[in-house]
Amino acid sequence: MDLAIYDLKLHKGRFIATIIGVGLLFTIVLAMNGLYRGNIYEGLAVINATNPDLWVVERFRGGPFNEQSTMPEYYHYSVKAVPGVEQASPFIYYTVERQTGDQSRHFSIIGYDIFGGLGGPQKIHAGRGIQQAHYEMVAHPKLGMRLGDKVPLGLHTYTVVGLTKEAVDTNGDPLVYLSLPDAQEVLYLKDNEELRNQRTRLTRSLALQGSLTSPAAERLAPALQPDTHIINAILVRLKPGANRAEVARHIEDWLYFSSYTTGEETQLMLKGRLAGMTKQLLLFRTLLMIISVVIVSLVIYTFTMEKIRSIAVMKLIGAPNLVIVRLVMEQSMLLTVSAFLFGLILIHNTYHLFPKTILLASGDDLITFIVAVLGGILASILGLWQALKTQPAMALGGQ
Amino acid sequence: MEVLRIEGLSKIFGSGRLEVRALEDIHLSVSPGDLVALLGPSGSGKTTMLLCTSLILEPTQGQITFDGETIFKKNGWAGGVDIRRIRREKMGFIFQSHNLIPFLSARQNVLFPLSLVGAKGEAAQNRVMELLDYMEIRDRADYLPALLSGGERQRVAIARALANNPKLILADEPTASLDTVRGRKVMELLKKIAKENQSAVIVVTHDVRMIEGFDRVYQLKDGRLNQEDLV
Repeated sequence: MDLAIYDLKLHKGRFIATIIGVGLLFTIVLAMNGLYRGNIYEGLAVINATNPDLWVVERFRGGPFNEQSTMPEYYHYSVKAVPGVEQASPFIYYTVERQTGDQSRHFSIIGYDIFGGLGGPQKIHAGRGIQQAHYEMVAHPKLGMRLGDKVPLGLHTYTVVGLTKEAVDTNGDPLVYLSLPDAQEVLYLKDNEELRNQRTRLTRSLALQGSLTSPAAERLAPALQPDTHIINAILVRLKPGANRAEVARHIEDWLYFSSYTTGEETQLMLKGRLAGMTKQLLLFRTLLMIISVVIVSLVIYTFTMEKIRSIAVMKLIGAPNLVIVRLVMEQSMLLTVSAFLFGLILIHNTYHLFPKTILLASGDDLITFIVAVLGGILASILGLWQALKTQPAMALGGQ
Repeated sequence: MEVLRIEGLSKIFGSGRLEVRALEDIHLSVSPGDLVALLGPSGSGKTTMLLCTSLILEPTQGQITFDGETIFKKNGWAGGVDIRRIRREKMGFIFQSHNLIPFLSARQNVLFPLSLVGAKGEAAQNRVMELLDYMEIRDRADYLPALLSGGERQRVAIARALANNPKLILADEPTASLDTVRGRKVMELLKKIAKENQSAVIVVTHDVRMIEGFDRVYQLKDGRLNQEDLV
């Protein structure tokens, strides 16, 4: 005779309400599992999609994604000359907030050498890659752009010639690929008024030195404008059979750069930007699991206390403790498992509605289920303790 | 053979100046088919007597023999005796307030003690319906206790007490929550059960109007059982 089921049938309203409440908590836990996976996937997506043999960045910098790294564009020629290097390509990466259509969009731009250089999109989902030196772009469909769309960025309008799904930036925002000069222009282009002001300030500073006449200072000023041929990293492909460690050591010792393999770059991300988020999500998940256990525990305790007299009667008429334990435990398990299933079904049907990528893994679901079941057992302890200490005499009006 | 034999039973709560002698030197013997009433005012030790008799409360001294088996001797439970099994298989309980399990229907309430002794399937269901028939509440079999009247609930409770053909039925104020007419009907039922089932019935009550027709009536006063038969 399944006492737990009969009891729950009588209290099905409260039971269902509790399942929904605890189930929503489990939904959040499962969503956070997915968010954690999605965060790692997004954080590493651009690294994995680019995947050179070596990332060369400014010395002592963890760039280009973890930390700002800037270097003159022509340095890639020096890297190209290192023994063992087959190809060295300039690479620029930055995040912008621009108006596209009616909406302001947050996205990242990658500029790369479109003429056979490294760092471009590996797989074009629709359309083609960039073939012209200027004014073409490849975008992520998340931006809502379609092939042939004209997108104004800075002074120029760029045509969407291809769509790629493979990469998002380290924050999960969509990527846009441009040719290197276009990307540099979008990043460094200043307003004309600002350029004139800057030039006037520089001319005045030069004239004040006393060694230059005012016309000479005016002539010199354009040549002293800040260089916009700046990149963030140089991507390296090694010659077949080249020793990666030796090439890296050579670059570090002779060119005074830092270099990382893709594995090391991945670790930099995992231990750097992603580590904080990972801890944060773990803490949130732990707190939510504790809250779930407390709620289940209180509900089971209340359920148990409501039938404490019935439990006394059961004991009086000779029911073994196992019958009582089963009654309390089964209710706790039914509540926990039903709430978990509710949460599981809900998140598997709604994960695509979340703005950030939620990657659901069956392994994570299983671990959460095991933790939930252990929590359910833990939650029943309070009710069990109360049930087991109930004296049968209570049924006769004593004790 | 006697179903229950109690000899020199005492129960003392506390010690020293706080000592309370709830029961003192109780002797009682009940045979199959006996209908015994224990009368007494509030605080006379009725509940303690019932708790000791139902093997819930450990006496301080004396001896309890149940169905030929010594359960309590001198000042401790006899070794190797499964008290819950005895209550499960050989005793039936009827309470002041019916104490039916609220989330089980009348049928399931009667089935519950049967399930504890491993009875299941059609045989168990037949036994349940036979008892509900006997109590004339077959048509209420699938009702939850909350939907039954006070008298119907008490009849279901009696059916539950009878489920395992107990040798001893202990009834604690079984008419207290009923009006006089329904109370008398319950008492008539208990008399019928004692005679037809050959179960010994001990009824604890304070209502002298309800004990008409009992085989023996004892009076408890200040923990002492008046052994003079009042019938």
